[in-house]
Amino acid sequence: MSEPSNLKHIDRAQLAGLVEALAGAGTAVIAPALRHDARGTVGYRTVTTMADVVLDKRPDNALKSFFLPPTEPLLHYERQGKDVTLTPVDPSIGPRVVLGALPCDAAGLPIVDRVMDWDYRDEPWFGRRDATTVIALACDKADSACFCTGVGLAPDGASGSDLLLVPAGDGFLVEVYSDKGQALVDLHPAFFGEPRDQEQAQAFRAGLGAALSHADGLDPAAARAWIEGHFIDPAWPALALSCHGCGACAMVCPTCHCFDIVDEQEGVAKGTRRRNQDYCQYGLFTLHGAGHNPRGDQGARIRQRVSHKFAIYPDRFDAILCTGCGRCSRACAAGIDMFEVVERLAGLQADIDEETPTGGDL
Amino acid sequence: MNLYHPHLMRVTERIDETVDTVTLRLAFQDPAVAEAFEFRAGQFAEYSVFGEGECTFCIASAPTRLPLIECSFKKVGKVTTALSRLEVGDTMGFRGPYGNHFPVDAWKGRSLVFIAGGIGLAPVRCVIDNCLDRRDEFGDVTIVYGARSVSDLVYKGELEAWAARADVRLVKTVDPGGETQDWDGQVGFVPTVLGDAAPTSDNAVAIVCGPPIMIKFTLPVLDKLGFSQDQVYTTLENRMKCGLGKCGRCNIGRVYVCKDGPVFTAAQVAELPADM
Repeated sequence: MSEPSNLKHIDRAQLAGLVEALAGAGTAVIAPALRHDARGTVGYRTVTTMADVVLDKRPDNALKSFFLPPTEPLLHYERQGKDVTLTPVDPSIGPRVVLGALPCDAAGLPIVDRVMDWDYRDEPWFGRRDATTVIALACDKADSACFCTGVGLAPDGASGSDLLLVPAGDGFLVEVYSDKGQALVDLHPAFFGEPRDQEQAQAFRAGLGAALSHADGLDPAAARAWIEGHFIDPAWPALALSCHGCGACAMVCPTCHCFDIVDEQEGVAKGTRRRNQDYCQYGLFTLHGAGHNPRGDQGARIRQRVSHKFAIYPDRFDAILCTGCGRCSRACAAGIDMFEVVERLAGLQADIDEETPTGGDL
Repeated sequence: MNLYHPHLMRVTERIDETVDTVTLRLAFQDPAVAEAFEFRAGQFAEYSVFGEGECTFCIASAPTRLPLIECSFKKVGKVTTALSRLEVGDTMGFRGPYGNHFPVDAWKGRSLVFIAGGIGLAPVRCVIDNCLDRRDEFGDVTIVYGARSVSDLVYKGELEAWAARADVRLVKTVDPGGETQDWDGQVGFVPTVLGDAAPTSDNAVAIVCGPPIMIKFTLPVLDKLGFSQDQVYTTLENRMKCGLGKCGRCNIGRVYVCKDGPVFTAAQVAELPADM
C-alpha cells in the first residue's frame, strides 16, 4: 500500500462544516445517506448537510453509478427534412466530492479506468473522474459476504481514494494520497487540524482484519487458472441453475461497466442518443439481429461475468475486476455468493494441482 | 463532443442488391472529415439512423476507392430495417473505422483465393477491390462466390466486372434448386465448388467469409487443398455497441472481436473458445 503524503485530523463538527462549506460553494457532495423510505436503507446520494450522512452503515448501491450513470446523454439530434443537426452534450461537470466512500467502492474506480482508457479515452467517464475528489472511510462494516482482502485489497486501503479517513479520537485521522486530496485540504484549511490520536487510528486499523478472516485464504489466481482451462465445464450450467438472470449482481457491482447505446425519441423530429448501463446477465445482451446468440443460456452468461472478473480482465488489464465488496452476493435473490464461487473454482483448480504432481515422471 | 459522437454522412446512392439486402453509397457531409478519412480493408464502423440506433458492419468498399464509401447490409432488425428505408439525400451517422484489418501488404507476391457466401461477400469484396486496384502486386486471383439462389447474389455489377477480367478467375455458384434457366454459373454448395475449382495453395492465402455452416465445411476443403490455418483469413462479427472495447459484449473469452479483430486467421479462430 502506498504511504500517505500528508496527515491531518478532522473532528466530527469540522466534517459537518466541510460538507456545508462544499455544498454551499456549489460542490456536489455524494455520501452514504438515509433514503427517504420507511425501511431506513442507506445508499450513496447527493447531500447538502451532514445530518443526512450515515457513516456507520454500508451503502447498498454502487459508487460507479456516479461515474457511469444508469443513463446519460451522449448527444442530441434533430431532423429537418433530409438533414440532421447534432448537438454535443456539455461535457463540463462541476466539482464533486464523495465523502465516506467504502474503500472497496473507491478501489473499483482505478480498476475500471483501465478499460475506459484502452486505446480510446472515454471522455464522459474521465470527465467525472477528474471532477471528483474521493474521500474514503476505513471500513469496519465487513460481513460474511465481504472478501476485499481475498482480492488483494484492504478495508483500510486507499486505492482510488484521494483522502482516507480513519476513526481517531473525536473524529478522523486524514491521510492524503493525491494532489487532488491535498488541494481539497488546502482549499478548506479551517476544517483540518494537525494529526492527533494516531495510536487510536492504528488500533482501529489493527482490529479490521478479524471480520474478514474467512477471506484470508482465497486464491483468485487459482480460480483464474481453472477458468482459463475450463471454458466448457458442467460447473457453469450448475452454477446457473439457481440464477434468475435478473442482473442485480451487475447493477450493484462497483466494477461492472457494460453499457448499451440507444436513441430515445423526444417527439417526432428530435431525440437523444443515450448510454445506458447494461448487464451481461440478460439474454438479449448478446442476441444477434438474425437470431443467433453466442451466450444463449444462463450458464454462458454467468461464465462471462465470472470469467470477465477473474480471468479476462486480469489477463488484459492486470487487475481483478472485483473488489470483494460482496454487494452482488447480498443482492442476489437466488443466494449466489461470489466469495463461494471463487472459493469453489479455486478449489477445483487445487484438486487438479494435487492430481498432477510437479517434478518427477508423469 | 465525445468518442461516441458520429460523423454525419449523406446517402448518395442506394442499390437494392436483393429483396432484403441493400448497399448504401455514402459521403461525409463535412469536407474536412472526408479529406482526412482513411481506413484499411476489413475495418468496420458503427452506422446509425437517428432515432433508431447504431449498427455494426464492415466498410464494404475498398480503401483504394476513397472517397467512395459503401456499406451493405441485410435487413434483419430495427436499425438495418431503418437503414434500408433511407433514400438518396438522407442523413445518417458513422463512427469509425474500428478494428484491425486484412494484412494486404504482407500478401504481396502471393496468390489470392477469395471465398464468400451470401452477404459474406461484403467484407470480402472490400479486399477483392483493394487487391485488384493493386493487381500487379499479387499472383493468381480466384474468387469463389455462392448464394442460395440467383436472386440472392449480391454485387451483381461487380460479379460481371470480375468475370470480364482476364486476370481474375471467377467461380460463381448457387445452391441446388436456386438456379434459373439462364444461369451461367455452377450449381452446388460453396465447399464442393471450391474443391472442384481446386486453386493452388502454393504461396497463396485464402480469405473466407459467409454463414457459419459454409465456413465449417469450407475449412476442411482448404485443408485438403494444402492451405495451412495460417494461410486462411476470415472476419468475425458479434453484436457490438461501442466498437471500442468498452461495452462488454463482443468478446469471445479473452478475445475482443472489436479490438483484436474482426480479422482473424483460421489458426486464431481454432484457438477461440466455443462461444460463437
